Amino acid sequence: MYQYDEIDQRLVDDRVAQFRDQVKRRLSDDLSEEEFRPLRLQNGLYLQRHAYMLRVAIPYGLFNSKQLRTLAHIANKYDRGYGHFTTRQNIQFNWLSLESTPEILADLAKVQMHAIQTSGNCIRNITSDPFAGVAGDEIVDPRVVCELLRQWSTLHPEFAYLPRKFKIAVCASKEDRAIVAAHDVGLYLYKNEAGDLRADVLVGGGMGRTPILGVVIKRDLPWQELPNYLSAVLRVYNRFGRRDNMYKARIKILVKAIGPEEFARQVESEYEHWVESNSTFTNAEWTRVAQYFTKPAYKNLNPLSSNEILEQATSADQQAFTRWLDRNVKSHQVPGYASVVLSLKPHGTVAPGDVTTEQMLAIADLADQYSFGEIRATHEQNLVLADVEQSSLYSLWQSARQQSLALPNIGYLTDIIACPGGDFCSLANAKSIPIANDIQKRFDDLDYLHDLGDISLNISGCMNSCGHHHVGNIGILGVDKDGQEWYQVTLGGEQGLNAAIGKVIGPSFFAEDMPDVISKVIDVYVEKREPTEKFVDTVHRIGIAPFKERVYAEVKRA
Amino acid sequence: MPKLIRYPKQGQAQLVPNDWQVFRATEGEESAALTPGKVIVPFTWWTSHGAKEQYQGRALKGEISVWFAPEDDILAHRDVILAGLKLWPILAIDFPVFRDGRGYSTAALLRERFGWDGELRAIGDVLIDQLLPLSRVGFDSFSIRNDQSPDVALAQFNSVAYQFQDDWRAQRSQKQVSLK
Repeated sequence: MYQYDEIDQRLVDDRVAQFRDQVKRRLSDDLSEEEFRPLRLQNGLYLQRHAYMLRVAIPYGLFNSKQLRTLAHIANKYDRGYGHFTTRQNIQFNWLSLESTPEILADLAKVQMHAIQTSGNCIRNITSDPFAGVAGDEIVDPRVVCELLRQWSTLHPEFAYLPRKFKIAVCASKEDRAIVAAHDVGLYLYKNEAGDLRADVLVGGGMGRTPILGVVIKRDLPWQELPNYLSAVLRVYNRFGRRDNMYKARIKILVKAIGPEEFARQVESEYEHWVESNSTFTNAEWTRVAQYFTKPAYKNLNPLSSNEILEQATSADQQAFTRWLDRNVKSHQVPGYASVVLSLKPHGTVAPGDVTTEQMLAIADLADQYSFGEIRATHEQNLVLADVEQSSLYSLWQSARQQSLALPNIGYLTDIIACPGGDFCSLANAKSIPIANDIQKRFDDLDYLHDLGDISLNISGCMNSCGHHHVGNIGILGVDKDGQEWYQVTLGGEQGLNAAIGKVIGPSFFAEDMPDVISKVIDVYVEKREPTEKFVDTVHRIGIAPFKERVYAEVKRA
Repeated sequence: MPKLIRYPKQGQAQLVPNDWQVFRATEGEESAALTPGKVIVPFTWWTSHGAKEQYQGRALKGEISVWFAPEDDILAHRDVILAGLKLWPILAIDFPVFRDGRGYSTAALLRERFGWDGELRAIGDVLIDQLLPLSRVGFDSFSIRNDQSPDVALAQFNSVAYQFQDDWRAQRSQKQVSLK
């Protein structure tokens, strides 16, 4: 993975010193809270219900064991012994004091980490495919572009006070594992016939109050031109995005208001001044960054058949190990290797995405032992060990199981994506974690989950949609009505290349009814599905009416 | 008079005397409100009053400059501005609130697209912690808000040694490394 050079390191160190000074001025009241707020947000620091929350950047989800040990140290020393992986491949700590944050940032800087632009109205941490570099369906490795864009966007002077936050996602595989179309800017990378790296640029996607999927406004952009074209997009947005209403300030609202064609035209007339400008990425930069994304030292291995892998396990473990192989182990580009997803979704016991200090330390060890010391965070709030030898899968599984990280539920109904919700977040209208846990407990039956197959269930505690409920096959949104917490259900959302926004089935429900509601929805699916038909396909085929009828007929107090 | 910092493209940041007044016209105000001496007027005021003989006279004496509001679309007024650049000794951009980032793009456009190489001043809600990015997009003059400490303000310009973008002042730092 990418290693800082002197410039990266100095920049992060300088930034820590700068923030230390800002915190000092805040604590002495030389800086008002109102004027400090955007500064702390641009360093990932939120003031939540109980304490300060720090969101640490994990650029495009990739980090290493040394960094994870530092995160464990932070959780232990400054927090309450755990951290929370977010839906944007970052990690956040919930129980911090303002005074401690400069020290935490200094600790992070020592392992080439920071919290720069994980919040605020600026270009946020760039997200990508957690299987970058190893996925079987990869077209090109997106990480060099991700890293170049990380650098370009870091402390960008012109775009630090945009109308609203600005999220970029990059995907370069046949399947889209980065929900590219749900971002302010999405990039699909590919190679043209001449073998040159190109990008299609989508703009105007986003979740939040007004979920919209982005549309392509530029095709076949040479990778070198990315900073130029993105500067043009951002400049048009910075100048003309709405600033009178924060709910209408995202770029999607501007694109929708003037239409994608007109927006593209305005960008194009700005971009013509940028083509081949000084900002153009150079081949020398590519070479410098790409040297860190070469393939690790893979061994020359013979691929193992499923049976050969299974034979590693004792007979007592065969069933459980098979389930794990089936759900949590993914194919790899290199013969003899596999990628492993560690589930951070035990049933009903912790917030989705939470890991304890002890687990972090254990995962760091597993990464060192089995996967070249690297870890990836997924937007589904799980972790990936990307380069595991097939012959080690059983011993890895045994170790992961001891840490409660081996539940074979990846992609199942209980692999719930959820924001921290009303338990922590000061923006939330309703709690998310207890809803997730109650549903996980209701469906705590691996045979049944297996029978149901792929179903994504995403929960957001408010319209900001950090839990990506709009693109969940089942989406749950917490709403506030007369001071009470209610939950609205959507069906038919989908991520990937066929990304779709779910449809609301009707009036919202009380928290305690949610497991029943989900049970009824699942009952309808089980009755109506065709053989091998996935949940979301059944919803698309029969529409939401049958689900709606059943739920509202049978769940009381609806 | 508010405290003024000058930070020329090649040079050190320092406090300097300020001889320009900012004129903030309100509806219906006319020449009566325009103070004598050097005055920075709103761009919109200039477009509606600037052609009058008395103001042309003052402009020719170098007494009138303009400031742009966040919502001023300078690309849509290209001709007026290009003509004005020959008259106005300095330009200013107003920040009614420091969080409104439109002025950053206005500044960059004045430097890149209009070729302005004279003084470009940030006025209004100009605070210590925005000075560095402001200086990078094209500002070289900062009328800092009265309560802002000039010493802390002056320290900002050297607080981050490297940069990841080409901007008005310098190339991105990585280019120098790549060339090594």
